[in-house]
Amino acid sequence: MSCSSFIGHDEAKRTLILNAIDARCGGVLFVGEKGCGKSTLARSLRSILPGGTPFVELPLNVTEDALLGTISIEETLRTGTRVFQAGIFSRAHGGVLFIDDVNLLSPEIVSLVLEVQSRSENVIEREGLSVRHPASFILVASMYPGEGDLSPHLLDRFGMCWGFESLREASQRIAVMRAATDADSPDADWELTRRISSARNMLPQVTVRDRLLEYIADICLTYHVAGHRADIYLLAAARAQAALHGKRDVSREEIDLVVPLVLMHRRRELQPPPPPEQQEEPERSQEPPPESQQQHEEPPPPEQQDEEQDEQKETPPQPQELPPQDEEVFSVGEPFKMKRLFFRKDRTERAASGRRTRTRARNRGGRYVKSVFRKSRDIAIDATLRAAAPFQRIRNRTDIVVIDEDDFRYKRKERKMGHLAVFVVDGSGSMGAQKRMVAAKGAIQSLLIDCYQKRDLVSMIVFRKDHAEVVLEPTASVEHAARRLREIPVGGKTPLGAGLFETYRLLERVGRKHPETRFLVVLITDGRANQSMSGMAPDEEIARMATLLNEQSGIDMIVVDTEEKGRFTTTDRALSIATLLGADYYTINELKADILTDMVQTNKTLTIG
Amino acid sequence: MIFPFTALVNQDEMKTALILNVIDPSIGGLLIMGEKGTGKSTAVRALADLLPDIEAVKDCPFTCDADGTLCSDCRDMLAKDGHLHQEPRKMRVVELPLGVTEDRLVGTLDIEHAIRHGEKRFEPGILADANRNFLYVDEVNLLEDHIVDLLLDSAAMGVNTVEREGISFVHPARFMLVGTMNPEEGDLRPQLLDRFGLCVSVTSLRDKKQRVEILKRKAAFDSDPEAFYATWVAGQEKLAAKIIAARESLAAIPVDDDVLEKIVSITSALSLDGHRADIVMMKTSHALAAFRGLSTIGSDEIKDASWFALRHRLKRLPFEEVGAEREKVNAALAQI
Repeated sequence: MSCSSFIGHDEAKRTLILNAIDARCGGVLFVGEKGCGKSTLARSLRSILPGGTPFVELPLNVTEDALLGTISIEETLRTGTRVFQAGIFSRAHGGVLFIDDVNLLSPEIVSLVLEVQSRSENVIEREGLSVRHPASFILVASMYPGEGDLSPHLLDRFGMCWGFESLREASQRIAVMRAATDADSPDADWELTRRISSARNMLPQVTVRDRLLEYIADICLTYHVAGHRADIYLLAAARAQAALHGKRDVSREEIDLVVPLVLMHRRRELQPPPPPEQQEEPERSQEPPPESQQQHEEPPPPEQQDEEQDEQKETPPQPQELPPQDEEVFSVGEPFKMKRLFFRKDRTERAASGRRTRTRARNRGGRYVKSVFRKSRDIAIDATLRAAAPFQRIRNRTDIVVIDEDDFRYKRKERKMGHLAVFVVDGSGSMGAQKRMVAAKGAIQSLLIDCYQKRDLVSMIVFRKDHAEVVLEPTASVEHAARRLREIPVGGKTPLGAGLFETYRLLERVGRKHPETRFLVVLITDGRANQSMSGMAPDEEIARMATLLNEQSGIDMIVVDTEEKGRFTTTDRALSIATLLGADYYTINELKADILTDMVQTNKTLTIG
Repeated sequence: MIFPFTALVNQDEMKTALILNVIDPSIGGLLIMGEKGTGKSTAVRALADLLPDIEAVKDCPFTCDADGTLCSDCRDMLAKDGHLHQEPRKMRVVELPLGVTEDRLVGTLDIEHAIRHGEKRFEPGILADANRNFLYVDEVNLLEDHIVDLLLDSAAMGVNTVEREGISFVHPARFMLVGTMNPEEGDLRPQLLDRFGLCVSVTSLRDKKQRVEILKRKAAFDSDPEAFYATWVAGQEKLAAKIIAARESLAAIPVDDDVLEKIVSITSALSLDGHRADIVMMKTSHALAAFRGLSTIGSDEIKDASWFALRHRLKRLPFEEVGAEREKVNAALAQI
């Protein structure tokens, strides 16, 4: 479809136009629901770029070889010298690299894309090849956030970002249907292409006065953006915008027009975005301007916010709702030494591969790290050739390299096998009793230390009052996790079912992107569920959730009971929840190392090594 | 065209730490930690322009130093001819890309040679290129474990020993490891962390004037790199000359016992394990004194060196805040 016949989404279109005018605008990321036209619009960029500009799509199943370039089998065998076969980076040079569903791309591939993009050069040091070629391209990508997030690193590399909303107006929706069936007239984009090309010609003459550079810096400081890329992209976008307007001098107007496009994804997220239903709550009026105001053309006057205010913003935003005495943030109890908790299903693999967080990638993807004798699907052509090379004279090579059965070498690929420990923490008021939360936080801290040593990913979900939320998206930074842990407040009812449902959603989301991930769910609660989200009885809801979770594979569950034992008020409700979940059950005391050792000795089927 | 080192706005800690490694390569490299978009990679790449010449055996692909460890070839040549001919060569920044494979890192059999002549010959890898040069790894915390193992191995030995595909070869592999990382993306293995001589942390500048300056320079560089470079060339040459002068003056600056005592009193107050911290601190303060054109190492040099050399070596509980380190170092420094 041509860009001009695309209905609505004028801002999104503008991001493409600005990039078409000046590649230094740094590409764009489209975020939105499925089927709202993100990819269609992104692909329409082809029709407004100058003829011959490469537009290369990066499929999600791309291998490292295909991306970077690899040794050409035919040529190499024929000539006996290593011949380089260019990859996707080479084809995208000077044009656009389009990644649909970029958030589903494997982390190994993402880091390669970023590396090459940042140096505008592809450096290949693999399979006996040492090649470098220029590779500068505009990244254009789309994502549906429901299927997983994007690393902030990758996010930062996009010059612009735009959120798609489905068109609501009936007339527009009808027009979309029409446009989808109509054949494009061949010169639909003629007018637009003409405007872009005159803007491109004008661009070198567009100047920016110092006063406006200061204005840009002010805006970036106000929004607490990380690093300096935002400033640079704002400048590039404002110049392109001015060129589009046919102006030789950038004014505030152009800067204001591009601010929403460039800063949308860069404002420092001191706190994961709250679930949508929270946004209407009146308490949020004290928060920094919400999304809708951010997109407002005129950025608010720069006000100097000091670090202290930052700290405050970092704490979860619930507070004002309940009287303060209901709300308490407990300190983290003394962490204790504990034996390592292993992922049960990982143990056999460990024995086989001898590496904890690695697994040999048998099926797809993974990084080629070395060649081995052991047969696999991927022949390591470089190593095979090396094995055969010294014998070519003896084997009377004529015009093709003679390879014997014994020469074959295979690729050993490795990929990070994700281990994700999800801490599902009860933040209800009852956790405040007898300072249960202090001990609970101590226990979580101890488990975090374990994850740190093993370099596992961690994530944290807190349920309290009427909902559960992911307070920490999966991260490798355990320090980050520890900070979040300290901030968890206590107060309100116990929506345990909601906590389990949020867990289920998180596991599903991560599992879809990284199918090999092994999960360890650690539920920390006193078990006194008294709030359901579905209208069912809390216990019934928990039972449903348990079934849902048990259907998933690759999940180990542990329930840590924070209730103080040996009192007449002891209910042991966490124990029955553990039974329901098929989870291993511990009290906090039982988690400590010495007692654990005893348990292992008594041969319980524990997941402790 | 590379962005000129001297045109980088502020970030003096990072720039100084890089320069100190040029003055005394045995300091052992630098880890640059910082958030995205703060010019980490730009600074390392820009360093290439300031690097001085070193003496190396003529035509040796391993940049052998005639007075140091020799590669198998140079050793044979020395045995045969009785001497080695040296030539000046510019130091380099050698990059280690994330997708590197083992054979390219350590070197391997030269296929073409083997096919054509039926004999095995060693084809040098990145470690060979990196000898006596800077080895730069962007996003070092994302490097494959397997590659990290190989790096650590040769960093520890100072040589790369290759035994594969019927090839036996040894060559020196002493490199200054320079890595950049964004800590949000994951931690670094403690073993690898310790391999970095120095460590600095960079954050984005909050000063408006400086931000505007960055914008101006970046825009000027983008629109005409050659013209932009021309305006900075004098400063670049001056800094390069200053570095060379510092290298040459190093030998004349004494490292007195009282300097060593001060260093030990700091490291023992911080109860640091091993001697690497002491040695790195000594070399860093020495190089700092040379860079500052001093004839002796003063307390200021020791103080400034300690933060570069110690911040990543401090014993820290896994979750202790980074700020706590600075206090500890300051407390230890207050004593000297």
